[in-house]
Amino acid sequence: MASAGAVELTAVTKRFGEHTAVDRLDLAIEPGEFIALLGPSGCGKTTTLRMIAGFEQPDEGDIRISGESVAGVPPHKRHVNTVFQNYALFPHMNVAENVAYGLQQQRTPRAEIRQRVAEALDMVQMRSLADRRPAQMSGGQQQRVALARALVNRPSVLLLDEPLGALDRQLREEMQIELKLLQARLGTTFVFVTHDQHEALSLGDRIAIMRAGRLEQLDTADAVYARPASAFVAGFVGQQNFLTGQARGDGTFDAGQIRLRSSRNGEGSLLGGQVRAAIRPEYVTVEKVSDAYPSGSAPAGSALPENSAVGRVASVAHLGETMQYIVEVEGQDSILSRIPTPQAPAVNVNDAVVASWDADSVHLFQAELSAPQHPASRT
Amino acid sequence: MTRARRPRPIRILAPAAVAPRIRAEFNRRQFLAGAMALGGAGLLTACGGDSDGDTASPTGDASPRATGGDLEGQVSIYTWGDYDSPDVLDAFSEELGPEIRLDAFNSNEEMIAKLVAARGTSGYDIVVPTGQFIPQMVENDLLEPINKELIPNIEHVDEAFLGLEWDPENAYSICKAWGTTGYVYDNTVITRELTDWNDFIDAAKNEASGRTSLLDDPAELTGLYFWANGINWTTEDEADLQAAEDFLVGELAPHITAFDSYPGGSAIPQGQHVLMQSWNGDARLGIMESPDPDRWTWVLGAPATQLWMDNWCIAKGAPNIEAAHAFINFVLAPENVIEQTDYIGYHTGAKDVESMAEEAGLEMLDLIFFTPDQVATMQEGAVNSAQQRIVDIWNKMKAAAGA
Amino acid sequence: MRAPKFLLAVPAWAWLTAFFILPVATVVYFSFGYKPGLFGTHATDVLSLDRYREALSPTFFTTFVNTLRIGILGTLICLLIGIPMAYWMAVKVSPRWRTLLLALVIVPFWTNFLVRTIGWQVILAPEGWLSGLLQSIGLRDAPLAILYTRPAVLLGVVYNYLPLMILPLFVAFDRVGPALREASKDLGADRLRTFLRVTLPMARPGMIAGILLVFIPLMGDYITAVVLGGARGNMVGQLVASQFQAAQNWALGSAMAVLLIVVIAGAVLAGGLLAWLVSWPVRHRTRLGLADLENIAVQERA
Repeated sequence: MASAGAVELTAVTKRFGEHTAVDRLDLAIEPGEFIALLGPSGCGKTTTLRMIAGFEQPDEGDIRISGESVAGVPPHKRHVNTVFQNYALFPHMNVAENVAYGLQQQRTPRAEIRQRVAEALDMVQMRSLADRRPAQMSGGQQQRVALARALVNRPSVLLLDEPLGALDRQLREEMQIELKLLQARLGTTFVFVTHDQHEALSLGDRIAIMRAGRLEQLDTADAVYARPASAFVAGFVGQQNFLTGQARGDGTFDAGQIRLRSSRNGEGSLLGGQVRAAIRPEYVTVEKVSDAYPSGSAPAGSALPENSAVGRVASVAHLGETMQYIVEVEGQDSILSRIPTPQAPAVNVNDAVVASWDADSVHLFQAELSAPQHPASRT
Repeated sequence: MTRARRPRPIRILAPAAVAPRIRAEFNRRQFLAGAMALGGAGLLTACGGDSDGDTASPTGDASPRATGGDLEGQVSIYTWGDYDSPDVLDAFSEELGPEIRLDAFNSNEEMIAKLVAARGTSGYDIVVPTGQFIPQMVENDLLEPINKELIPNIEHVDEAFLGLEWDPENAYSICKAWGTTGYVYDNTVITRELTDWNDFIDAAKNEASGRTSLLDDPAELTGLYFWANGINWTTEDEADLQAAEDFLVGELAPHITAFDSYPGGSAIPQGQHVLMQSWNGDARLGIMESPDPDRWTWVLGAPATQLWMDNWCIAKGAPNIEAAHAFINFVLAPENVIEQTDYIGYHTGAKDVESMAEEAGLEMLDLIFFTPDQVATMQEGAVNSAQQRIVDIWNKMKAAAGA
Repeated sequence: MRAPKFLLAVPAWAWLTAFFILPVATVVYFSFGYKPGLFGTHATDVLSLDRYREALSPTFFTTFVNTLRIGILGTLICLLIGIPMAYWMAVKVSPRWRTLLLALVIVPFWTNFLVRTIGWQVILAPEGWLSGLLQSIGLRDAPLAILYTRPAVLLGVVYNYLPLMILPLFVAFDRVGPALREASKDLGADRLRTFLRVTLPMARPGMIAGILLVFIPLMGDYITAVVLGGARGNMVGQLVASQFQAAQNWALGSAMAVLLIVVIAGAVLAGGLLAWLVSWPVRHRTRLGLADLENIAVQERA
């Protein structure tokens, strides 16, 4: 089958009573791809996953797995397996029996079951714990068993529903690397649901960002990061400084005292009116006013250069690889800056500073009537 | 030997049509048996030693303790369930003062076990044992002698019911009520006339086979055989007992559907069986409540049957002994006797109670009152060495009937 | 200084001692005694096993077989009705209705169980309303003849004991939760296989609790069976009660009670053993452990 492992959703809609969980979703997943479904809670990503698994039936639209429509096909007849959020290991079976369960359902011969269970447990380095019950294992160990239990069936598509959510940070990062390597080795299509942007960015060949039941952007990590398709994506993936401005007609925008210019969007591609500008903190540099202006005082108002702002340092935080500064600007939201530690300027709280950035780092979006609130900026 | 009298219907606020059903549910023995089953051994071992009354010394001193002094504030009666007219009890409290506290037992054995365990501290003043248990109770020092001077109304008791074998001087007891055993049959099914125990047995083996119930009481079963065959039913002769066992277990058991001490409660009104051994008062109530009373015929056991008699007695250590005497005297007064008879449906042993009942318009008097000739065929029971044996026969018969 | 740990267990042990060990020990002690004369109930100055010899009579065996038949059949029927019922309530019914259904299951307990049982006697009577109804709509041409038969006994038993089976089963099924059922389906098991291999094994503690809650009291109950079965409902409990009450022979009654305890425990053990044996092939087929995997060499998948 040429398309083995492909998943295709066409205009899929799922409603729960009044609430539309998934809204005319189109999503095409290539065979062998590691795709991350990213979005805030309630965005419909888990519902999408459950429809692929067969636990929910779409109200409208079609789902094709490996080229075949699965409308009305119950979960146990789909060649798809799931790693569940809380592992859902059978507590009354040991590790080996959990892993063998799927094969037993296929009436696989005993010898082959042993062989494949051994393989699957080796794959996650759990063979030595084959006799353990789930309750006797750590979260990470259970996670590996859940993975082996799903993969032993050699599914065309592996669905992972926030599988690392319950693990502590270090273990989570280790498991991310293992998952990535495993997927590369097996070549199985992985559909990985997460609300953690770091996880999505580090794992996904492509990242599908969902909001309110719809797909906002489907692209590689680089593209999603560097070229967000919407203000929502810009805000959800990585952190952003958002400035809302008014077009002046000469390709610049005024956000209060700050004049913005972007070289990314073609000038005039935004027709004017309200825009939202997004600037990543790592593109914002901070300099003491006394260093930037030997006169000792910054020019006021419109005399200030484009893409810069004057303010006062409200906080300096050492994040390890970077230093983070929060600059309070009069009449604006404060501006966040992150500078690699070796290049970090010696700036203290309450110092007067100039924050500035390149026109190349300014993304402009048409401001929405009801701009969504982003948790992005000030974490 | 547990025999209880079917009282008349409990007065309740319910449509007349459902009253028999509800009343059946409150059938005393079954209800309390249920409570027993639920409460487990609790009832058996319960000890009523909560009285602060003076504890009599168990010397067997035969002189009465009561002197006719002031009445105490209450009187506590341990008796069969629903066995006294509430109107009479209320009238006593109203006229003489002491408040009445009632407690019910399910069998003589249960009552005796409780008194034995309490050793004179049960707190009960009056108890109501069946006659043949009185010697055992006296021997175990469970009863106070009665001061008959304080009970002048004893003159209203028929002499036929005084000075009986178990208490010839009435030193410890005075008749409360008495009854007898017979049977009821459905004359639409058994169309011939039945007149005695042999007819009963014959019908049970023939047209009533599989639709016959017996009283759930060991002495009534062996009694059935002994009465039919002219053997004294208090016999301790092993040959007699073995003959009774052979007959009951081997011959009669396969024809028996149920062991039911209160067919009047639901079996007669609902036509559950066609032939039912029963006590006279219970049979009377069942027939009165049947939608078709003419269908049922009552037969007094013959050629012999039993006479059981319950008696007013005073418990050892009774804390309210003066009030207890006053109460017994009160219920023996003629104006209260008819109330009691009306309520419980059994003869109270009072003189002229039959003519009073006729005057009061009570129904089916032939099931309450019997002719002297009939009474002459009635034999009193006894607690004797055969007790264990007849219980074993009872159990064997039930096992055989249930197999 | 901290109080030693065993102090925490004192209330539980005191409770157990006062309400279980002491009463049972008393019964066991009495069972070695005898009935002293006509008016005594028990004496223990001479101890012997004679009461057990008396108790183990053919009567006891006949009655016991009848009791065991009612106990086992009643428990099985309760189990067969209780499992689908509890599963339906725990899995299929929306939570809104679940509370109501649970309340309905419990409501009969608010009335005296004897009153409830006699209610059935009234319903099943030949001249009761059910009989009249069946005759008037032509389903029967003679009065109903079910009262005082074994089916009537089983009906009463199921009616009185079913809630005791449903409640622990419901809790057990409820605790399995939807996640494990979905995991099972995800791994290729259909509904039946999911029920047999996940839901039911996980509900085993509830099943055991339900079986014990029904079987043990049922073996001692002689009211339900007698009210609806008449002579066909003769139970060992009645035999024990007759020794305590009518015969006033507490020693023999105690011996019978001890035998009843022993045979109930024996029946429970035998039942457990039987279930273990019957399920052995299934367990054997699906069992897999470290030992099975020990000598398997793994080739890397391409």
